Amino acid sequence: MGVMKRFTTVLAAASLVFAGAACGGDGEAESGPVTLRYSWWGNADRAALVQKAIDLFQTKNPNIKVTPSFQEFEAYWQKMATDTAGGNAPDVLQMDFAYLREYADRGALYDLKKQEGQNLDTGDLLEGLKGAGEVDDGLYAVPVAGNTWGYVYSPAAYATAGVPEPKLGWTWTDYRSAMEKITKSTGGKVYGGGNYIGTYYNLEVQLRQEGKLLYTEDGKLGFDKPRLAKFFEEGKQLADAKIVLPVEKGVQIKPKFALELDLIAGDLGWDNFMTRYAAATKTELKLGPVPSDNPAQLGQYLKPSMLMSVSAKSDHPEQSAKLIDFFINDPEAGQILGANRGIPATNAQRAAVKLEGPFAAVAAYEESIKGQLEKAPPAPPKGAGTIEQSFIRISEELQYGRISVDQAVDQFFTEANETLES
Amino acid sequence: MATVAPTRQAEASGQPAGPRTRARRSGDGVAGYLFLSPWILGVLLLTIGPMLTSLYLSFTDYNLFTAPEWVGLDNYKRMFEDARWLKSVQVTAIYVAVAVPVKLAAALAVAVLLNNKRKGQGFYRAAFYGPSLIGASVSLAIVWKALFTDDAVVDRMLRVVGINTGGWAGNPDFSLMMLVLLGAWQLGAPMVIFLAGLKQVPVELHEAAHVDGAGRWLRFRAITLPMISPVVFFNLLLETINAFQVFTSAYIVGGPNGSPAGTTLFYTIYLYDRGFSDFRMGYASAMAWMLLLGVGLITLFLFRTARGWVYYSGDRR
Repeated sequence: MGVMKRFTTVLAAASLVFAGAACGGDGEAESGPVTLRYSWWGNADRAALVQKAIDLFQTKNPNIKVTPSFQEFEAYWQKMATDTAGGNAPDVLQMDFAYLREYADRGALYDLKKQEGQNLDTGDLLEGLKGAGEVDDGLYAVPVAGNTWGYVYSPAAYATAGVPEPKLGWTWTDYRSAMEKITKSTGGKVYGGGNYIGTYYNLEVQLRQEGKLLYTEDGKLGFDKPRLAKFFEEGKQLADAKIVLPVEKGVQIKPKFALELDLIAGDLGWDNFMTRYAAATKTELKLGPVPSDNPAQLGQYLKPSMLMSVSAKSDHPEQSAKLIDFFINDPEAGQILGANRGIPATNAQRAAVKLEGPFAAVAAYEESIKGQLEKAPPAPPKGAGTIEQSFIRISEELQYGRISVDQAVDQFFTEANETLES
Repeated sequence: MATVAPTRQAEASGQPAGPRTRARRSGDGVAGYLFLSPWILGVLLLTIGPMLTSLYLSFTDYNLFTAPEWVGLDNYKRMFEDARWLKSVQVTAIYVAVAVPVKLAAALAVAVLLNNKRKGQGFYRAAFYGPSLIGASVSLAIVWKALFTDDAVVDRMLRVVGINTGGWAGNPDFSLMMLVLLGAWQLGAPMVIFLAGLKQVPVELHEAAHVDGAGRWLRFRAITLPMISPVVFFNLLLETINAFQVFTSAYIVGGPNGSPAGTTLFYTIYLYDRGFSDFRMGYASAMAWMLLLGVGLITLFLFRTARGWVYYSGDRR
């Protein structure tokens, strides 16, 4: 009797172990509502808006349930990599332009061409965003919003320093001298700006203004060592002269931005960040054009600020496509999200959104340079995300004075080429 | 069933084990293993399995998406040409060399103080042990970083005494020191072990030395230290191995790039970055095995030197 009893106890214990292991699978049965897992990056503000949009989607599609989850950008991609490798990717995932080719090439994404015209309508996308999610003839992502490079600044700081506010036609030399004057006018309490060599896209903008590309069509670096040396040299001089925010400040305030804390008078960046800055500071902010040494060429394009993809392993591609369709086309969804993720990607949503305050500023800014916006470059090569990280790190060491300009350039090329070759 | 019950009674009443009982015992063995099975499965599936997989992966090129590709020793060779790998080894080595002695010295000093009988002893012990309970928590690292930024507590206090370093979190010369202090602050575990060791030191040795006119410091050096040397050795070993694996606090303070200027690029951080940001699992696996090898060699080295300075009472060498 006793042995029998003990044996069953053991069996029960053992089966518990196995049960635990078995729980990981997709338990959803065919009948009843389908559950979609949807992952995206962002912060709590955005989470509230996304949840509101999802609620609306569920009301309109009672047979589809959506379980969202989100992280900050960096953590998001680390989790996505492991989830995808483990065959546990969510049905619908937010995609970044820099990672699109990486995931598409490795067969991790579903080709949405199969859903186009059925559950997904991409016809209304803005001209500049059409084709942005294509990789080698497949449609692996759909842009949900677009943004472009801009200059967010405090007009009051410019007035105090006696510097005219930036307008179309101002050059990089004008930009640097504005930095210097503003920093001097506050006695270093507020800096003119951050060091622009800390951001990879500033290099891209400069290159495009010269008619070059960050990455060539065949996925190589679109610039040589002397060009990068020139870029780094500019920033090194700014850092040495202490006319831009010192790197040690920038490091300490992470993950916040200097503009949110009123440490600088303006900064170059994605125009939709205007909304984030405006929410964090009481200082009045404006959006102005990017400096360019070439009056005919701003070097800007409408970039898909966020895209949505469907995992190749998803059991519900139709429903997933419907969710994406809802996010890009539904006017009410557009109203809920506003310009939080960038300006909406379709004409219908753009028309539906009544933009106010900083959101309106972003829209007006994009309207003002509409004629200058070029077609987006092809999706960056595999490893673009890693290369950007290399750039940020190396630039930081340079600003700290730990390495020379030449060392920084060599190190970047070594790392970037190694990444591109693998 | 009927045959079993009497045997159990026989066993319970303490009768010597006969052949029949032995047969029963082998049955007990099976049940024993079954009871162990959750643990055995855990070790096999969650420890040994992954370890062997990572050993295999360390000889491959594996990007998480496509099947691993055999590359032999390439990953291991590449490490020695990788500037960031060398940097991470350097950062980790400096940290271990500084943090372990600092933490052990602090733990021993506190243990000696707490060994004296006084009022509120329990409270003090708990207070010093407290920080260790929070362990490698994220919130703790965030608070720590906040203490060491520009114009925060530490910066202000240092300026009062005329030292101007700015926030350590942004100063490459001090960022590592900030993590050393965090480690030293969590001295609870070695402290408790030291305290136990101190209690074992025979009082009569101290009394005899005292009568002979030996001062406090001489008694500590000539009696206490040798007597607790096994405990010192144990703590040294444990803390060294732990120090090699610092991750959470460093990741919160310096992020995947080891900010500021790569001065907090610990080995584990770089390993994680290569594996999970750059999708180079093969390389990351090879790095993990190199770490194991390195820690193993250092442990071996410590054991070798231990013969020279660790004294076990009752040892008649």
